[in-house]
Amino acid sequence: MFLRIALAAFVIAAAHATPAPRATLAAASGARPAAPAGNAAPAGSVRTAPTGGAAACGSPYLVDQALPNGARWRMCWEMRTIEGLTLNHVVYTPRGGAPQNVLRSAALAQIHVPYDSGEPRYHDLGSLGESAIALTAADCPGGERRGTYVCVTTRARGHAHLKDGFGDEEARRSRQGEELVVLSGYQVGWYAYVAEWVFGDDGSITPRLGATGSLAGTVTTPGHGWPIGVGRRHFEESHSHNVFWRLDFDVDAATRDAVEQYDFAGTGTKRRFMVRTRFATETRAVNRRMRWWRVLDPRALNADRHPISWEIDNSDSAEYRGPADEAFTRADLYVTQYHACERLATQNPLPRCRNSVDRYVSGERLTDPVVWVNVDFHHVARDEDADPMPVHWQGFRVLPRDVTAKNPSP
Amino acid sequence: MRGVMMLAVSAGAVATITAAVLLLPGDGGPPSARAELPAAVSPAPGDPLTPDEIRRAGDIATDAGPRAHFAAGRAELLYVERDDGKSDEGARRAEAYVYDYGTDTLTVRTVDLARGKVVREVSGTGTQPPPSKREETRAAELILAHPRLGEGMRAAYQRAAGKPLRSTADLWLRGLIYTAPRGDCAEHRCVRLFVRLPDGTFLDTSRVVADLSAKKVHILEW
Ligand SMILES: [Cu+2]
Repeated sequence: MFLRIALAAFVIAAAHATPAPRATLAAASGARPAAPAGNAAPAGSVRTAPTGGAAACGSPYLVDQALPNGARWRMCWEMRTIEGLTLNHVVYTPRGGAPQNVLRSAALAQIHVPYDSGEPRYHDLGSLGESAIALTAADCPGGERRGTYVCVTTRARGHAHLKDGFGDEEARRSRQGEELVVLSGYQVGWYAYVAEWVFGDDGSITPRLGATGSLAGTVTTPGHGWPIGVGRRHFEESHSHNVFWRLDFDVDAATRDAVEQYDFAGTGTKRRFMVRTRFATETRAVNRRMRWWRVLDPRALNADRHPISWEIDNSDSAEYRGPADEAFTRADLYVTQYHACERLATQNPLPRCRNSVDRYVSGERLTDPVVWVNVDFHHVARDEDADPMPVHWQGFRVLPRDVTAKNPSP
Repeated sequence: MRGVMMLAVSAGAVATITAAVLLLPGDGGPPSARAELPAAVSPAPGDPLTPDEIRRAGDIATDAGPRAHFAAGRAELLYVERDDGKSDEGARRAEAYVYDYGTDTLTVRTVDLARGKVVREVSGTGTQPPPSKREETRAAELILAHPRLGEGMRAAYQRAAGKPLRSTADLWLRGLIYTAPRGDCAEHRCVRLFVRLPDGTFLDTSRVVADLSAKKVHILEW
């Protein structure tokens, strides 16, 4: 067994150097300019009241974006010291419809990074607001930087729909979709994280985190790593990025929200039977094939008198399960009753409050649920991960379910 | 799970380094990423705190504290965060994080900015919010003051930069909280540091933990 070079600690660090200084890092190195760079507020963005009530924030914190198909997203951003980019008061307005309150607040809630040999085990939040990377125009193509650390842009998302006209050009329906992206980047040690919030013109929300920058350069035994570099000398240690997001849904209003879990029984047979479980109290849940959840306000109905709801799909997690003293790793989704002091999934920063999301689940009745989503990526390094490491993404999807009675897209 | 053993190394040697860290009200506290934009004349309810509000909240929160602790350098304002609670959403409120290294107590004081006073105070042990900028610097100073690790850090810097390390200001630092179920770091404010050198390399600091409460360095064994 091949011991890591123990107490020589970082004296030998130069040996597993990560070369190639990175431009973004150089810009962010340590001190950041005290004065804002000359790219602050977009001109002319005033505190107008968009359809459906006044915005909670003004320029440059208000994002109010109409997309070509008539969908509109509105929200307020804030770069918080601890959580970094936080989106508040997220409102979706489908084409021709009324504004829908979706999220009161949404932010990263932790990035837990345990290495495969057992140590180290990092909790990467970290004052994310202080780790934010200054963005260049190239980091924000087609969009505008809001201040130094936040980019708001739109981009193509491929086909929104396609329906053949069977020879009738008039009847043919084809449309390219667009999406709004609000993003920021963080330098956490050798890693850089890109945190994206993607709002589709179909009403979908995709929170995702990309890890890039550099590998740790940690040497390990063949059993815990992958040989990078020449031959079989340097085994880079595999590790997980267990990312938690906190989503405080306020569908319609802050109270009355409910969370349901959907399963489809009948594995191994021809038929499937829908099984709905309404969470009356705080709950931890794990992923299953076909399983999904939705947050709804049972009294907020669409034109078909179906409850307006937001579906959560979380199926591409590596589902890391850690030791007993990391019980927060042992579920993929937590639903907890709102408490102002519960902000992070682990190492919660507020005193006289529980410390991690697994402990927030304590049997309380749910009237104002907060959803915590855990998506894990097991990173086994490859040769291609040499500097600059290609970004690897992890995230999940939130979809409108019966927010509108029909597809609102033209 | 493997146990994490803490080795206290040379506690006395570094004790003087941080003893003189004082809270200086009015120095604006730690720089704040969210305060980078020009202050709106009157911020909307959901706007981030303005630099002026952050400064005022810090002053009000530290005035309300036991001044003896601040003067003795035992308590320190970490940062000010906007109170994003859902009750009374229209109010402009700030949460000032104050840590007392003598008692390992975190106090969060909620300042009502319109009324100019502390309206809520919550204190407890065993809660460690992320390290502040100033704490990252202090952690690096502790490592530099450690006989062997400090020497290693200086040598690595010299190799990377081609000139001697003058102070921690020459280093790019990023701190994360380290906690352990047992041992000093179950209660103390312990910080793990990433240190980037001018040539783009990082020191291997994965086993090094700066204990800001005990003012010493622990080396983790696994
Ligand atoms: Cu990785």
